[in-house]
Amino acid sequence: MRILVVEDNDRLARLVADGLQRRGYSCDIALRLDEADEAMRGAIYDAIVLDLGLPDGDGVAWLVARRKSREAPPAIILTARGGLEDRVTGLDAGADDYVVKPVEIDELAARLRALLRRPGPRSQTVIEVGRLRFDTASRTARVGEAEIDLSRREADLLELLMRRAGTVVHREVIENALYNFSEPVTPNAVEAAVSRLRRKLEDAGMGGKLHTIRGVGYMLKDNGE
Amino acid sequence: MTRRSSISRRLMRGLTIVGLAGAVLLFAAAFFFYHFSIIDLRTCVDYRLAIRETLEHVVLPVAILMGPVAFVVFRVIKQAFVPLEAAAREIEAVHGHEHGFRIDTSRMPTEAVAFTDAVNDLLARLDEAALRQEAFAADVAHELRTPLALLSLELDRFDHADAARLKDDVMAMRRLIDQLMLLAQIDASAAAHIALEPVPLAAVAKDVVSLMAPAIITAGRTIDLDTDKDAAVVRGRREAIAAALRNLIENAARATPAGGAIHVQVGPGAMMTVSDEGPGLSPNRLRDLARRHSRADHASKEGAGLGLAIVDRIMAAHGGRLLTDPDRRGISLRFADS
Repeated sequence: MRILVVEDNDRLARLVADGLQRRGYSCDIALRLDEADEAMRGAIYDAIVLDLGLPDGDGVAWLVARRKSREAPPAIILTARGGLEDRVTGLDAGADDYVVKPVEIDELAARLRALLRRPGPRSQTVIEVGRLRFDTASRTARVGEAEIDLSRREADLLELLMRRAGTVVHREVIENALYNFSEPVTPNAVEAAVSRLRRKLEDAGMGGKLHTIRGVGYMLKDNGE
Repeated sequence: MTRRSSISRRLMRGLTIVGLAGAVLLFAAAFFFYHFSIIDLRTCVDYRLAIRETLEHVVLPVAILMGPVAFVVFRVIKQAFVPLEAAAREIEAVHGHEHGFRIDTSRMPTEAVAFTDAVNDLLARLDEAALRQEAFAADVAHELRTPLALLSLELDRFDHADAARLKDDVMAMRRLIDQLMLLAQIDASAAAHIALEPVPLAAVAKDVVSLMAPAIITAGRTIDLDTDKDAAVVRGRREAIAAALRNLIENAARATPAGGAIHVQVGPGAMMTVSDEGPGLSPNRLRDLARRHSRADHASKEGAGLGLAIVDRIMAAHGGRLLTDPDRRGISLRFADS
């Protein structure tokens, strides 16, 4: 995984890059937007960690331009602003996530992992959450070597939850993803599917990872996600 | 104690003097033109005639003149003050949204415009001072973030219990900075007259609970949301309302022991309640915490920081209130019905 860290404070940039490297990412640093452009001409990055206020321009404007002209990798905005409305502006500009300084590397690494699990042109065929692996091509799930036997619907549900691991997936989102409009959905169909999947995960030794947030939805969460 | 001067009373006095003076002068004129004298009045056989003449030519004209004059003058005075009384009511009603408020001078009589303009200038200067102070607070908070980020990242390189403890302190400072920035922004946006939007409370609560649930679950607590069917849509600022709810949930998460549950209830109507398994807050304690202002030296035992003061400010800006129900161990946000 190659990450580009765009941050004008070079000490902060080095600390972020160091921290991510210790967690298995390879990182390049750009202190200015023109350096970032140059780095992106020379290499393909899986994700960008982008500061907003840079000496030669605004990170949001730069990101908007990159998104318009050519494909840019997913971006996490790292900023000191963190105001009420800045968050919305950053996400509207095509940033995939938003982290306010001072950030913890663990949190940033978890967000990067989540970002890289999302479907996209460069997304992997195998998604991992802790010891749990899901192959999106063969639609099979494994914990270590042991395969978990899943129905089509349970596999769809697991993929959805794994792609968004560490975040809450709303009940309606699951309902829309799992059932066609033509299919009649019984009121507790989602609950039933989730509880079947939970039992299978428990049997495979992955108990306590699938959480219910009653009234909102469900979340698959491994420690550190 | 001096009695406050009243324009009506002074007019009454003035009109009485004018009336009396007029009557005396007319009386004197009557005496002069009819060649009367005091002796005539004593001896004159046409005593009754004299009385009638006096009534016709003195008392009647004065009364006819003074009556309408007094009526018109009091009416004019009363009407002249109607716009001032309306302005007073407006000022009263604006409680909690003082930022950016100006007295409407379009209906003011010319004579009062100089005064209301001066008051408006004063209000503008106060707003400007408040904005400067808020911008300063936001700048300070913003500038503090980078050194704090450096500190927390440097600490991240040490795998030691001391480092972990220091990192907790850094995170506590971060929380305080976030709160200061939020406080500055609530006031600044109130001053900037940002248009209110319809905010569905159910949707806001769902967003906030979704975003906070991962951290709460990692910390070993659970959270759930219960949305009433008739949960209201209020007018306000969505981000601010979300921040208020977030603060309440953060407080609840701190008060709840590990393994405990945090319960968020939306509705009935324009109300959101966060309850937890902590000891609960008495109404008096809640009021004390909500009244605390930007003074970090009063750090409370509950670790609430400025949280409740911020929530109180947000609620005031929305014409709402912060309530506590110790029996249910919850704190509620009640919005004005829209």
